[in-house]
Amino acid sequence: MSDNFSRTPYSDGHAATHEEASKPHYTTTTSSFSRTPVSPYLNYDSRYLQQAQPEFIFPEGANKQRGRFELAFSQIGTSVMIGGGIGGLAGVYNGLKVTKALEQKGKVRRTQLLNHIMKQGSGTANTLGTLTVLYSACGVLLQFFRGEDDHINTVIAGSATGLLYKSTAGLRTCAFGGAIGLGISSLYCLYLIAQENSSNSSPKYL
Amino acid sequence: MEEYAREPCPYRIVDDCGGAFAMGCIGGGVFQAIKGFRNAPSGLNRRLVGSIIAIKTRSPVIAGNFAVWGGMFSTIDCTLVHFRKKEDPWNSIISGAATGGILAARNGVPAMAGSAIIGGVLLALIEGVGILFTRISADQFKNPIPPAEDPVALGDPGRNFSFESASNRTQYQ
Repeated sequence: MSDNFSRTPYSDGHAATHEEASKPHYTTTTSSFSRTPVSPYLNYDSRYLQQAQPEFIFPEGANKQRGRFELAFSQIGTSVMIGGGIGGLAGVYNGLKVTKALEQKGKVRRTQLLNHIMKQGSGTANTLGTLTVLYSACGVLLQFFRGEDDHINTVIAGSATGLLYKSTAGLRTCAFGGAIGLGISSLYCLYLIAQENSSNSSPKYL
Repeated sequence: MEEYAREPCPYRIVDDCGGAFAMGCIGGGVFQAIKGFRNAPSGLNRRLVGSIIAIKTRSPVIAGNFAVWGGMFSTIDCTLVHFRKKEDPWNSIISGAATGGILAARNGVPAMAGSAIIGGVLLALIEGVGILFTRISADQFKNPIPPAEDPVALGDPGRNFSFESASNRTQYQ
């Protein structure tokens, strides 16, 4: 018996007749893989099945990535927390500046610092959270009505958020808010496109 | 089953915080719109302006309060899950009581105790209703009891299994 199954998987030691020689073999005669033996019962080289990337099984009808509605709450929560953090840090800075100017000491200084942190932190958190709620709502509605999720949704949602947020401050301010929203969302989309081009992965619209 | 649809524990805090903020924002917006409309001076235009101003001023504050409540509740819930090593209604009840107590801490011990009791009872009611609905909805999936076969409906066994000759009986093929 020949042990080199990767070269001749069906060889049984006897001289091959003309009839057997004419039969096609489905395995590669010269394998570029390592010389480890492959089962003679297979009509293909099983080492071809090995893939570099892991395969994931998705439920039938499920999307490979989460939609805007599934991501909305996480986005809102994240923006609220980031807003709270940024506002808190700004509050610390302003509080220290004010208490130093007024030359406050001890308990009075501590209370003033806490007041600054709480007031500025909550204010920034609420502002960022409200902006994200508007953006998420616009994104979800656009996805629902257009029936697809792409970069256009992101740009329109960003612009609409800017317009809505400054809608009560007059036409010029409203247009300025919309322009800022459009600019930020466009930059974000360009960044996403660049990411897609660099690594051939599926896009994830936020 | 809906427990598995939620985020795993550290990320659940952010998710719940966001959900609470969104609920507060929308709910507070509707409530403040009505309140602003009612409290504004007469005239439709003025009332609409009053409504919008009320939404702009108060809605984010309500949303922020909701977010703090949701975030704290979820944080305590996840902490309890980590230490108790199980997820059951008691986690939610304890979390509700603790959240109510912590958020009322500035108003003194009596107010803190009152808020904790209210929070615990409220969450116990919510969990109880949830369990009740689960029980009711589970009843419709129960296998039906097979009907007991009536011996009368089967006929006379003596007639069916008699030892008389085959020629006396008519055969249908």
